[in-house]
Amino acid sequence: MSTTTPRRNRPKQAAKAPKPATTATAHTASGRHSQRWLAWIFLAPTILGMGLFTLVPIAASVVLAFFRWDIISAPTFVGFDNFAEVVQDPTVRVSFLNTIAFVVVAVALQLGLALALAVMVQEKMPAWLRTFFRSAFFFPLILSAASVSIFMRYLFNEQFGVVNWFLSLAGIPAVPWLTTPGGSAAVVILVYVWQNFGFSFLLFIGGLASIPVETYEAASLDGATGWRKHIYVTLPLLSPTTLLASVMAIISALQVFDQPYVLTRGGPGDSTRTAVMVIFESAFQRLEFGEASAIGVILTLIIMAITAAQFRLSKRFVFYQ
Amino acid sequence: MTGAETGRLREITRRTALGALGAGIVGATVASWPRLSGTDIPGRGDNSLSIAIMGTAADAAARQRAIDAFTRLHPDIRVKVQAIQAVDWKDFFTKILTMVAAGTPPDVVYVATEGAQLFADKLAHPLDEYLRRDAADMAEFFDDVHPSLVEAFMYKGSLFQLPMDWNAANMYYNTTAFAQAGLERPADDWTHVDFRNSLGAMRKVRPSDFTPYYWTNRLFGGVVPWLYANDTSFLKETRSTGGDWLWDSFYANDPSRNLRSGGYQWLEPNADDPRVFETFDYLRGLVKDGLGVRPEEGGGSSLVGLFASNRIGTTPAGGYWVQGLHEAGMKENDYDVAFFPKWRSQRHQFGTAGYAIMKTAKDKDAAWEWIKFSASREAMELIFPNPGTTPARRSMVNEALYAGKGPAHWKVFYDTLDKYPTTGPIPAPPQQAAVETALMKNVSLAVSGDERQLKQALESMQRDLELALRRQS
Repeated sequence: MSTTTPRRNRPKQAAKAPKPATTATAHTASGRHSQRWLAWIFLAPTILGMGLFTLVPIAASVVLAFFRWDIISAPTFVGFDNFAEVVQDPTVRVSFLNTIAFVVVAVALQLGLALALAVMVQEKMPAWLRTFFRSAFFFPLILSAASVSIFMRYLFNEQFGVVNWFLSLAGIPAVPWLTTPGGSAAVVILVYVWQNFGFSFLLFIGGLASIPVETYEAASLDGATGWRKHIYVTLPLLSPTTLLASVMAIISALQVFDQPYVLTRGGPGDSTRTAVMVIFESAFQRLEFGEASAIGVILTLIIMAITAAQFRLSKRFVFYQ
Repeated sequence: MTGAETGRLREITRRTALGALGAGIVGATVASWPRLSGTDIPGRGDNSLSIAIMGTAADAAARQRAIDAFTRLHPDIRVKVQAIQAVDWKDFFTKILTMVAAGTPPDVVYVATEGAQLFADKLAHPLDEYLRRDAADMAEFFDDVHPSLVEAFMYKGSLFQLPMDWNAANMYYNTTAFAQAGLERPADDWTHVDFRNSLGAMRKVRPSDFTPYYWTNRLFGGVVPWLYANDTSFLKETRSTGGDWLWDSFYANDPSRNLRSGGYQWLEPNADDPRVFETFDYLRGLVKDGLGVRPEEGGGSSLVGLFASNRIGTTPAGGYWVQGLHEAGMKENDYDVAFFPKWRSQRHQFGTAGYAIMKTAKDKDAAWEWIKFSASREAMELIFPNPGTTPARRSMVNEALYAGKGPAHWKVFYDTLDKYPTTGPIPAPPQQAAVETALMKNVSLAVSGDERQLKQALESMQRDLELALRRQS
């Protein structure tokens, strides 16, 4: 047998040449196939968890919005009746308006306060004091909102509260904090902002730390000082953080429940009743789960619309470095 | 598809991920059909008689003694008592309803007046058949219990609970504050005018850091006792027919037999009644003149402490306060209790509580045995060892119960029923939660502003009550 390969056979050999490569590909494909399965296996708990505990309840809630159900009797299909009732219910309308007013005021205060304190702490404080303030401002967030509200209820009691006692030292008469519409709204906002601004504060601290020092130096060389530096450098470069902080703050504020529920039970009148409080009252106190779901669906749509609007607007106001 | 494409590690696209999530939802739904419930959790679905009460671990000792006594009597019935912590009865009922929704309803629930009709209407099983069967055994219980308490648990002619404990809204007063203002103990028939004058006298002596009248914005002890005293209410009160079998069996010779009915009904709002306006206007006057507080919604948790610190002159409360005041350091002569002031009537408000058998109870006969046992003198003495409430049995409201704790006129508690047999329960139709919200949310506004604001608040209350009573009716 000749050891030389006839020329005409070369293409065949050439055709055979990739064979080891094909085997390698097959190996790789098999490896990647198993990697894919491995990825699915790792993802499975999350997917199942999300499906079972997030998406199923959301889907069930949407379906329930079209039924009348009091837990005890069988559900009855009522079409859009729940939505019609909810829209006509003056308490629901007021609670949504309250929620929106609350979001506007509380989020503005929360972000304004957080930003001002973050700038102050980041620029003016020594490192050890910065650490102290970071912890101190974040601390209220880890407390239970219900416990804080119970505590605040004592502080703001008209007759025996510490706040009015301090005011009396200055000759100011007792303020009916929790029994007048204005007073109770102010206390709910105050308590909410006090408890939540720490999170936005931390976000802003992180955002401020990521702004290059050179940018400030360049601005200084261009003659920018004091406030102008913050207006023309800090705010634009902090805009991605501001977007994130505002989206999170607005979503959280739209779902406010604990503070008004414990402090005022939504009163006096409906002055501090919020959308989530109405959902709770409809479902667990009046046993109208369908109506509660309908309110929940409407609230979800509002949250989605506001968040989408924020992201759309962000294209005009947010600057990425 | 080429080999190269097949071999590439395919990324998990959004479509794939969404498909997987969809499959997850379908899988989860299929997997949970028929519906999984809390009883599927190992250890929960046993055959014990499950009893839910409002309480904390602190009451465990007295509870366990009662369970042990019951087990000695009925060794074949296993009892499991769940003490559910709650801020108030509304909160407690919410938790029970959550248990129902979760598929783990208790067999027996301790229900107060606030929820009696909600349970009777939707969740509870009537006791009629058991009472007829064991009439001879139960006669002694009814002999010892005022019929007003029993009537509070009648619903459409059937009895759903036996009263175990109760409390009326009487008027507590601080004896030192009264003495400082030169006031004597109020007469039994003191009027709302006398009451206001007493508050004025106390305010004169202690112009600051003191509240002559402290009241809360709740269904019990808030505005309702004043409405009752003025012979009105925020809901129109009517009575159902029926129930004669019970009254004739157990209260045939009671002087108030003819007042009894098949149960209370609150079907229409009544906030537009001129007497309701008059009552609110009276309370508004107390607030305006600094004699009474502007009530906070759901307030009251700190009231015992405030009263015990001698900073409150008077407040409406029942016998349940005695133990709390004692534990807060008040001596038996530091305070006393009087009847609620008279207006057009001197009808008082009370609330009572007792066990209800759930429709879903696995073994209703066993549940009835628990109720029958709990109504016995032996069980009540175990369950109510101190004046943390007023026992439903008249014979247990005695000197021994209040010895060393006060008040001096403890007889006022049961006399409220005996002397004023028209004394009525907390108005609580099946839509109680919505009704309570409708009342409470308008009270603060009604008593905090001018006459125009009061009118607006009552109009709003009338509208809210109409809506509340329409729901689920």
